[in-house]
Amino acid sequence: MKQIVLIVILAAVAAAVPLFVGESPYFMGIMISVLMMAALSSAWNLLGGYAGQYSFGHAAYFGAGAYTTMILISLFNLNPILCIVAGMVVACIIALITGSIVFRLRGHYFALASIAVAEIVRLSVLNFEFTGGAQGILLSDVSLWGLDLNSKNPFYYGMLLVLVITLAITAQLRKSKTGFYLQAIREDQDAAASLGINLAFYKNKALLISAVLTSVLGSLYGVYIRFIDTSAVLDLKLSIEIILTAIIGGVGTLWGPVVGALLLVPLAEMLRSNYLGDVLVNAGLVSETSAFGLFLKENLAHAHVLVYGIITVLCILYLPKGILGLFRRVK
Amino acid sequence: MIQHLLHISHVSKHFGGNVAVSDVSFSVDEKQIFGLIGPNGAGKTTLFNCITGFFPATYGDVIFDNKKINSLRPDEVCHLGMVRTWQRVKPLGNLTVLENVMVGAFCITNSIREAEAIAQENLQSVGLTEYVGKSAGSLPIGLKKKLELARVLATHPKMLLLDEICGGLNYTETGSILDIIRSVREKGATIVFIEHDMKAVTSICDRIVVLNSGVKLAEGTPEEITNNPDVIAAYLGGGHHA
Amino acid sequence: MLLFLQALLSGTLTGGVYALAGIGMSLVFGVMNISNFAHGDLMMLGMYFAYFAFTLLHIDPYVSLVLIMPTAFLFGFLMEKVFISRVIHHPHQNQILLTVGLGLIMSNTALLVFTSDPKILTTTYSSSAFNLPGGIYLSVPLVISFLITCGITAILSLFLLKTRTGMALRATSQNREAAQLMGINVAKMSGIAFGIGTALAATAGALIAPTYYIHPLAGHSFLLKAFTICVLGGLGSVAGAGVGGLIIGVVEAMSSTYISSDWKDVVVFVLFLAVLLLRPQGLFGKKGEQ
Repeated sequence: MKQIVLIVILAAVAAAVPLFVGESPYFMGIMISVLMMAALSSAWNLLGGYAGQYSFGHAAYFGAGAYTTMILISLFNLNPILCIVAGMVVACIIALITGSIVFRLRGHYFALASIAVAEIVRLSVLNFEFTGGAQGILLSDVSLWGLDLNSKNPFYYGMLLVLVITLAITAQLRKSKTGFYLQAIREDQDAAASLGINLAFYKNKALLISAVLTSVLGSLYGVYIRFIDTSAVLDLKLSIEIILTAIIGGVGTLWGPVVGALLLVPLAEMLRSNYLGDVLVNAGLVSETSAFGLFLKENLAHAHVLVYGIITVLCILYLPKGILGLFRRVK
Repeated sequence: MIQHLLHISHVSKHFGGNVAVSDVSFSVDEKQIFGLIGPNGAGKTTLFNCITGFFPATYGDVIFDNKKINSLRPDEVCHLGMVRTWQRVKPLGNLTVLENVMVGAFCITNSIREAEAIAQENLQSVGLTEYVGKSAGSLPIGLKKKLELARVLATHPKMLLLDEICGGLNYTETGSILDIIRSVREKGATIVFIEHDMKAVTSICDRIVVLNSGVKLAEGTPEEITNNPDVIAAYLGGGHHA
Repeated sequence: MLLFLQALLSGTLTGGVYALAGIGMSLVFGVMNISNFAHGDLMMLGMYFAYFAFTLLHIDPYVSLVLIMPTAFLFGFLMEKVFISRVIHHPHQNQILLTVGLGLIMSNTALLVFTSDPKILTTTYSSSAFNLPGGIYLSVPLVISFLITCGITAILSLFLLKTRTGMALRATSQNREAAQLMGINVAKMSGIAFGIGTALAATAGALIAPTYYIHPLAGHSFLLKAFTICVLGGLGSVAGAGVGGLIIGVVEAMSSTYISSDWKDVVVFVLFLAVLLLRPQGLFGKKGEQ
């Protein structure tokens, strides 16, 4: 109950943010990314953090939502809500197929198989024609059922809503039989099975919930950016980013993914938009025309993945339980 | 004809070319305490795995409570009322002692409140009440064994299969576990247990089966078993004097 | 028929190089029980090493192996000591993420230093081919790579079978705890295994450098291939990985020829999943192993 109250309060605060920053699309853009990554990572956390099934292929569900929605809109100009529902259905189908394959496997094999399934999805989308292949899908200026696509607010609230729902599900789950069962599976699958837990059923349940939420975020993302291709929505990099966000915040905790997203996304954004380089130049530390300045301008945008790598390594070595793990009471 | 609660009929288990259990048959009656003994590698744990659905028997049948359970999954077997413990204890390490036992209790209830009540009750019966809030992974081995026992008891089983529940415990700890087992039987459960410690087995069991190299070597009352020359040879000859 | 033979032969040649990468990964998995997600990036480093040895020092890529192997061994040995050894008792997912992180650092450092422009290593024989009777072409660099691969695999097998260190490695691979009890320094064995694994990855990279685009992210597609090879052969089985590599090479060549080169990776991954499901111990592993 305490957690639900906290979720509501924070959601109300977050909902008020656009009223104050209204005119800054840059800031809103970052906030939308933060909310999206927090929600993605929370959805992953249901399966990875609570059930201990580290899916390295969650991009497949994100891509399922994004591609289904974009294809249906660009071909039939279907109502976005229907598109989102269709995306959920596709994600469910992929999840059920994936689940029937990967949940028989454990440890290394599970991680590898989840990657293989996601790669099959990615390569198939890349090779089919109706998915736009390597070109991806561009949403040209269609009127989307009266939605003002130039305003970021609908997407901000959309992402926020999904995040709140995901957190509420997580909080609720922790106080339920299913939550106990998922954690038992994480701790020891044999012990769990011997105590009457149907492993396949509960793993699939967690995967389905997680996949559906992830697909909704994919749908929103597609319409928000108005362009998708496989490298944006189906890449292994995205799957890893989702896991990383949860790890840094704290896997298997309610707020860990949110904390992770609040830290990682702005950092990545700063590096990607070359904010750091601009600061150095503006401060007169580096001349814009010098070789080093040019190098920074050219390449610093690539550095955000490098920084992710460094953070991952440091986090696994020194902070395997994440930031929230530091504050957990030691029993 | 007497109704057996558990009937093992010509069970064999092969791993590739290796025969771990070969043509073993025996029956366990209701409210019995039944011992399964034998030297290391005799196939006791493998037999447990076959009975509880962790790996299906290659040949033979397992009948529990008049149902053939050969091809059931472990969780289905548990819901029929048969539950096991592990030779190498498997605590749910990051959960608390209470939560561990609640997981067991969820076998018979969906309500958190009820599960907690059942868990508290069973923790009390094994004497772990003062540890409820501790993480299960942090307990010493003796208490972990008791936790395993409380956890399976919370599923309200008809039959418990205990795999070396006294292994690695000292004299007093063993005594207190045996006391718990006796009281569990008083309440109506049937117990099959694997044990190395001959003294523990003979002191508590009604009936004993001896396995050696996957084959049933002898069956009988504790007295018959301790006087059986084959059994003595297997134990002394194998150098596994418990 | 001609098409089939052509696909079979070129598939086998390419497969030989894949096998080398697979063997390296399998050795690491066997000895350390770790899935090395940085393996592809180590291959990429080998590619760049060969490229710069060729362009800056004018050393033939095949000759440069003499430099690459010891350097890569040392690099891998140190990487194990500094990073990997610290997670050897951690859950699998942490090990995986650590190697993912190390891989990201390598590939993105390469991206910063070498830029994202692909490099091409053109030797005098890069595009020459042996013409076999019947109209079959065999690319010269692929034939050389294959022969070198065979040589290295033979030496590695002898090393594993005949030397004390090799036997200690195999013992550690079979049962780490027992090996430790027998007085084997398993920590050192991990370092050596990771060093050899790295050396083999870099060698495979150098061997394919004359026939592929050299790019900071080139390792990624090889990573999943190397995993597939290991799983085919049975994770941890060196000999199995060798055969697994050949199979993958041939399967790829066949699917390129008979389906389409766009779908060849999909075929490989489907095969991968099929093996995981139907024979998780690998095609050549013993049944009942876990």
